[in-house]
Amino acid sequence: MAELLLDSKIRFWVFLPLMAITFLVGIIKHYLFIFMSNDKTVDKQQLTDSQALLRSRLIRENGKYLPKESFLMRKNYFTNEDSGFFVKQKRQSTVKNPMSDPKAMTEMLKGNFLNMIPMVVIGGWINWAYAGFLCTKVPFPLTFRFKPMLQKDVNLVSLDASWVSSASWYIINLFGLRSMYNLVLGENNAADQTKAMQDQMSGAALSMPDDISKAFKAENESLTITEHKWLLKGIEQSFLN
Amino acid sequence: MSTTNLEKIKNWNDAGSQLRTWRDDNVRMSKETLDLWSTYIAPSINRLGDEKWLVYEQVFLAALDCQNLTIAEDCLAALKAQFSSSKRVKKLFAMKYEAIEDYQKALDIYDSILEEDETNAHVLKRKLACLKAQNRINEYVKELNEYLKLFQADHEAWLELCDVYLSEMDFAKAAFCLEELILMYPHNHVYQQRYADIKYTQGQYDLAKTYYLYSLKLNPKNVRSLYGLLLTTANLKSSQKSKEGADNSKLNLWAREELDKKYKEVDSDRNLMNSVNDMFQYLAIGKAEK
Repeated sequence: MAELLLDSKIRFWVFLPLMAITFLVGIIKHYLFIFMSNDKTVDKQQLTDSQALLRSRLIRENGKYLPKESFLMRKNYFTNEDSGFFVKQKRQSTVKNPMSDPKAMTEMLKGNFLNMIPMVVIGGWINWAYAGFLCTKVPFPLTFRFKPMLQKDVNLVSLDASWVSSASWYIINLFGLRSMYNLVLGENNAADQTKAMQDQMSGAALSMPDDISKAFKAENESLTITEHKWLLKGIEQSFLN
Repeated sequence: MSTTNLEKIKNWNDAGSQLRTWRDDNVRMSKETLDLWSTYIAPSINRLGDEKWLVYEQVFLAALDCQNLTIAEDCLAALKAQFSSSKRVKKLFAMKYEAIEDYQKALDIYDSILEEDETNAHVLKRKLACLKAQNRINEYVKELNEYLKLFQADHEAWLELCDVYLSEMDFAKAAFCLEELILMYPHNHVYQQRYADIKYTQGQYDLAKTYYLYSLKLNPKNVRSLYGLLLTTANLKSSQKSKEGADNSKLNLWAREELDKKYKEVDSDRNLMNSVNDMFQYLAIGKAEK
């Protein structure tokens, strides 16, 4: 098969522009995200709840390091039938219906907007403007199976699989530029940190389970059935021998 | 660690990355930070780009530590100009008032931040620090307890509360706090050893022995635990019978041998060895008399 030669104009008008476009769009997206995100304040109630769950989990896991009385005291604090923390705290089910909560709705919209719109719009535009170019070649042979991945929009059966089409080049860039962003936008120096400075350290923003009363019930049950088995019992023996 | 590194620093770039390391590792090094600031960073602060705001904050805190209020004011002014409505900068203002011991003003600012954001852990902690600085221990303990009701899993706060209770000689409560720490970090031998210390002070020698042993299991080099073991077993030895008593004297002997070895490794100085041996003798007599 005769070797294909690409027009060198493709390099300047397709290959490099595609790279630049994806890169710049990524940067714009990043700054838009900073611009549009607002501080999350954590609700006091939610915070207490999540911290209580965390502590109860620790008691379940590491309670074996404590003397029996100490373990039982804590267990009682959480699971006592009359006055236990998990029993007493009545939370209304807070499974949010996103439709009824305008705030959650906007958040969702923003997230979607920032992720989907550029994908669709830019992707579509690139498909339209740069369709059908072959723009580069990977320097090693590939099997036939790679063709749909690397040669989107170019349906030539006889074409060597190591050629890359422009649409595929766009997609490769889209996913492959992440470390470039890290380099340029930086984890250490730039935008991320400044953002933290502006919108204030909401240090305890823990991920919350959706339905706190359900989580409490489950945690209550698992803590109730946890028996105390003192791990340090008979530790002298290992020293005596 | 730092002295060798500090000598290598020749320009603003090195100084900046050194400050970054300290910032990320939460190292205080206030004096050194100020030195780096005035020698390298201050003349070329704008070269740091967006990082400079973090540096301003870091240097501000360092300046407060060293009571260098001129530098502090400079940093604060720069931050204020950039982030006029930030709560974080507001907090820094309050910290400046704390540094000049105007606690009422500081507390007012903290309260105003908390009105907007009632779960801001940093500000809550600053408020506690104000109380402690004024030596209002009773209120401090009360507020710290309130804080821990909110943040049950904050190990620093538990540690702090434990220290306060210890200084107030409230050993039972201090032990409770340490139990929390053990729950969070069961493999930290220092916590185990401190728990044993408290139990020893309370006279619960059996528990103390167990936890000393466990901390020795985690770190065989913990000399304080060895001493603790020596003391607890010395106390237990006479009060118990037959089997357990024999075990205790074995452990006692073992701890003594280990300590002996440690001292020989470190220092073969006669005098030291003699005084240590005297002490061992004394301990042995003490328990015999009981």
